[in-house]
Amino acid sequence: MTRYARLPVALAVLFATAALAIIAVPGQAQEDSGSESGSQDVFRVGWSQDPKTLNPFVGVNEEEFTIWAINWELLVGFDPEDLTPAPAIAESWDVSEDGKTVTFHLIEDAKWSDGEPITSEDVKWSLETLGEEGLLFAGYTAGVESIKTPDDHTVILTSEEPNARLIGDLFVYVLPEHIWGKVPVDELTGGYQPEVPLVGSGPYIVTEFERSRILKMTPNPEWRGEQPAFDELQFIRYGSADAVERALTLGEVDFIPEVQPATFDRLGEQEGIEVVNAPTYSFTELAFNLCSEENCPDAQFNPAIQDQTMRQAIAYSIDRERNNEIANLGTSFVAHGILPSFYKDFYEVPELDYPYDPELANQMLDDAGWELNADGIREKDGVVASFDLFVRSEAPAEIQYAKLIAEQTEEIGVEFNLQVVSTDKLTELTVRKEDGLPAPEFDTFIWGWGGDPYDPSALLDLVTTSQIGASSDSFYSNPEYDQLMEEQVTLVGEEKLEERKELIKEMVAMVQEDLPYLVLSYDPYLEAYNEDALGNVERLCPAETGEILCQQVSYEPLLTLTPGEGSSGAETVSGVPGGVVAIGALIIAIVAFLVGRARGRRETEPMELPT
Amino acid sequence: MNTRWLIGKVGAAALTLVFVLIFNFFLFRAIGDPTEQLVRLPQSTPEEIAELRAEYGLDKPLLSQFADYVGDTFTGELGISQRTREPVWDEIKRAIPWTLLLVGVGTLIATILGAWMGVKAATKRGTRTDDGLLSFNLFTYAAPEYWIGIILILVFAVAIPIFPAGQQVTPGVEFSSWFAEAADVLDHLVLPVTAMTFLLLGQYFLIMRSSMVEVLTEDFVTVKRATGLPWNRVVSKHAVPNALLPLVTIAAIQFGAVAGGAVTIEALFSWPGLGELSYDAIGDKDFPILQGTFLVFSFAVIFANLIADCLYFALDPRVQAK
Amino acid sequence: MTGARARELLFGSWRGRISLSVLGLFIFIAIFGGALAPDDPYASSLETLEPPSSEHWLGTTEQGSDVLSQLLVGARVSIVVGFAAAIISAVIGAAVGLASGYFGGWTDRILDGIDNWFLVIPTLPLMIVLSALLSPSLGVLILVIGITSWAGTGRIVRSHVLTLRERPFVERAQALGASHWHILKTHIFPNALPLIFANTVLIIAIAILSESALAFLGLGDPTNISWGTMLQNAFSSGAPSAEAWWYVIPPGLCITLLVLSVAMIGYQFEEYVNPRLLEQHEA
Repeated sequence: MTRYARLPVALAVLFATAALAIIAVPGQAQEDSGSESGSQDVFRVGWSQDPKTLNPFVGVNEEEFTIWAINWELLVGFDPEDLTPAPAIAESWDVSEDGKTVTFHLIEDAKWSDGEPITSEDVKWSLETLGEEGLLFAGYTAGVESIKTPDDHTVILTSEEPNARLIGDLFVYVLPEHIWGKVPVDELTGGYQPEVPLVGSGPYIVTEFERSRILKMTPNPEWRGEQPAFDELQFIRYGSADAVERALTLGEVDFIPEVQPATFDRLGEQEGIEVVNAPTYSFTELAFNLCSEENCPDAQFNPAIQDQTMRQAIAYSIDRERNNEIANLGTSFVAHGILPSFYKDFYEVPELDYPYDPELANQMLDDAGWELNADGIREKDGVVASFDLFVRSEAPAEIQYAKLIAEQTEEIGVEFNLQVVSTDKLTELTVRKEDGLPAPEFDTFIWGWGGDPYDPSALLDLVTTSQIGASSDSFYSNPEYDQLMEEQVTLVGEEKLEERKELIKEMVAMVQEDLPYLVLSYDPYLEAYNEDALGNVERLCPAETGEILCQQVSYEPLLTLTPGEGSSGAETVSGVPGGVVAIGALIIAIVAFLVGRARGRRETEPMELPT
Repeated sequence: MNTRWLIGKVGAAALTLVFVLIFNFFLFRAIGDPTEQLVRLPQSTPEEIAELRAEYGLDKPLLSQFADYVGDTFTGELGISQRTREPVWDEIKRAIPWTLLLVGVGTLIATILGAWMGVKAATKRGTRTDDGLLSFNLFTYAAPEYWIGIILILVFAVAIPIFPAGQQVTPGVEFSSWFAEAADVLDHLVLPVTAMTFLLLGQYFLIMRSSMVEVLTEDFVTVKRATGLPWNRVVSKHAVPNALLPLVTIAAIQFGAVAGGAVTIEALFSWPGLGELSYDAIGDKDFPILQGTFLVFSFAVIFANLIADCLYFALDPRVQAK
Repeated sequence: MTGARARELLFGSWRGRISLSVLGLFIFIAIFGGALAPDDPYASSLETLEPPSSEHWLGTTEQGSDVLSQLLVGARVSIVVGFAAAIISAVIGAAVGLASGYFGGWTDRILDGIDNWFLVIPTLPLMIVLSALLSPSLGVLILVIGITSWAGTGRIVRSHVLTLRERPFVERAQALGASHWHILKTHIFPNALPLIFANTVLIIAIAILSESALAFLGLGDPTNISWGTMLQNAFSSGAPSAEAWWYVIPPGLCITLLVLSVAMIGYQFEEYVNPRLLEQHEA
């Protein structure tokens, strides 16, 4: 009998061996290059966050912008070379003599992806509705006084003053009015979910959207330009940034738009993977509370922060180069002033740039009468140079940066007390009001802002007096600066560009001098792609220093990128994963083994009695 | 008598549910003005906020707000998610099956393994086997389940890449048949379910072991033994079924609570169930979703308790006699 | 039920001895961890995710900090949160259990209802909701864990007090006209104390695990390093993909050992307090 009892054990071993053999055979995921679906060229993008909604009235995340910027166009787009205004829905435009009227000529035979013509009505409806009600689009049409549509292909915008932003900064997508216009506005700003395929005017349109899994875009049948090289774009959502990066190294995706700073270098060292690090129109700043008694009578802060010498000394004591290496792991760009280097047409390193110089900082404070007290902290007229520094718990790099600042200012006898709070809490501290007047409750904080692709006005506007009570979180007020702000935006057209640049340079210098913000770093796009999977890769937006996809700005790269040699088609899975087979075999083996042993034992050995 | 006992249980469950509703309602209103949570942009004007308040019915008296809330909840209206602008209930509906799958399979495996090891340990009480099993299970009991999950990922998804490290299916692929898709889901299920099993195993083992020890000392075992029945027969045919009752009851009672306890595992493996939904909602401050998932978790516990009571009622003659 | 018996239970078994030593070690680290740390645990460097070396015995984190230093400093949060939350929980649980069991009637019905409700409500989701609504900090963590984990203590104390109330010495005191406060203070509470204590020790274990889970979900105190936040950082920075086992294993192992030692001590106490359990637990 014992001999037979061994049989299941033998079977178990057999099963286990078979399972191992199956695992050893790789590739249950077959790529169908050829056969039924034809040779499909798919561009696969991997990300860890996907669009929450496709509705631009309520969407606020970067991923949503990335999709919109491919699906729809602006009235005036951006040249991927230098980001200057370029034809999009509008083929050309004329500016009137006085600069107050801009006439846009739309492309005559342009059509939506459903075959309907793109008309001036679409433009008007979009500017009026999305430009008023869209969470992230409201504000761009503020300078527009009237919108006229004399015919289907002409749009005339007028403004009270000449306004450069009407051309270079009208960041409102043109949506098909024949679809969106039928939906009541409160539904658009509420729970409206647009139907897929998402009727659009860009080279690709969204044809499938399964949230948290995949978003597919296929070529727009009515696209008027040259045909894009890919048959499909897939935006594949993975569970974590880590998983996305693993997918890239395994070749499951061709491109990732957002690499984590912590893994950027490590990823770049991998064979066959290229990483790209490009400055953007966003910055991270150390903001100071400069709210005056008259603007905010109930503000709460340490008055020492409003001492300009104090702020300048702090600026000199912060080693932006080193901190960028440590807090941002060298992936960001050291900032020089409020205007990011991204704005090539306007950028210039300001003269007053606060290189790291703690000795100078100490000297300045000594000269200004700030003397070290018993605790080693500077003091003047009973005011101690000890400040709260708020950082957001959601931003670990900013927390790290804040710690470094606190360390460095210690050298000059200035104390920063780190306060880590939620984004909501910091928002509350900066926007709170009493009796209708701003009453901010902070000394300093670290946070960031993002601008627009071409026109720097949005970023420069952050420190104007008119933004107090709105976007301003430094509460800086300088009439000269406000004057320059108003003036620079009236300089419309290329011939006035030099003049505009001069004014902006002056504005940047004022901010450097008065320091409502000490801008710490310009934020990057960190991208990575598989060399084999993509051909014709270029850095664009702007050329040379930009990134691969012109994320959120332009669809142009998708027209020039080509599938690489090692690119793969759509994957179809038909087999059973090796792991499952192994587990199944293991379970069978264990059961067989146990049955066999139990049977064997029952017949042969008696079980011992319990004690 | 019996039906009265049952009605009492149902009544108690209903009462608890009402308490949950009251709590859920006031919690999200008591801590901070909900409009602060609703308004995403700091620049909102007072008029806009007033409009929002009206839209969400926050300008009405508290009691009528509560009545609205209860009415809405019972008709499945849990509000609109702030991130996706989709009805909360739709998102929850999509997530429930995934949580049930993960928790169900995990509970099943943990019960079987726990019972098996418990019987082994109890019958070999005091031996090395018992000591070893006890130490192993105490270890899994004390270890954070998400930590075990991370180690599983490190070992079985990175170092020896046999299993996928997250999500429910391979992203971005087409399946030739439902069978291939099911197999793929199964493949993705392995690691999270293993972590889930470790979360429950230690406790289930301890319960089984002590109930088995107790049963083995009871008279009927000695009697059966005296009739000359082989010992292992006594164990498998008589002792185990009796000792299983407490374990199965507790596994059933806990089923609801486990769903809530699986948040970390779901977050770790990006498993698209209720736990991950809550986890994402934390990051996005999506309070309608948090409120909704909390309600569902509570409901699950109350419901599981009730079912367990009914099971107990049906299985244990002693309760019926009471 | 003497002190000697308790000592014997704790020191007499190898599990008890090991548990006490492990707990003692961790408490020592919690107090002196900052001084023991070879490096500044917060200092970052460019040596990110380096494997263990003579310079960094347990390697470095994704920020280039020393893992060992973070581990030593992290003990404090785990232990402080564990003990403080357990004390809060013990105070609430004891108060509710005592009042409910002693006074009976409507007090009992209401308090027992609340207790029941807290027993039923899913703990982790409740903690998540509370911590998400409040800003994260050490105090919030302690409070949230404390007020969500007292129900078990309340239930046990109540049933114990119910039996105490029927004891002759309580009845005699009542007959002599002693005030409720006096009876509670001199007769009921001292008798229930060992039970409360045993239960509290077990809750410490649960509180430590809860803190780590909340930290892992990003609801921990962002200004302090704890073992839970270490694991969260490790996971979110891709340490598993980098096979950085030196970053992943130590914090979890510490949590496990601490929880295990506290739980073992708790069980031993429970056996001391409740001898009926002895037969079941003792192997």
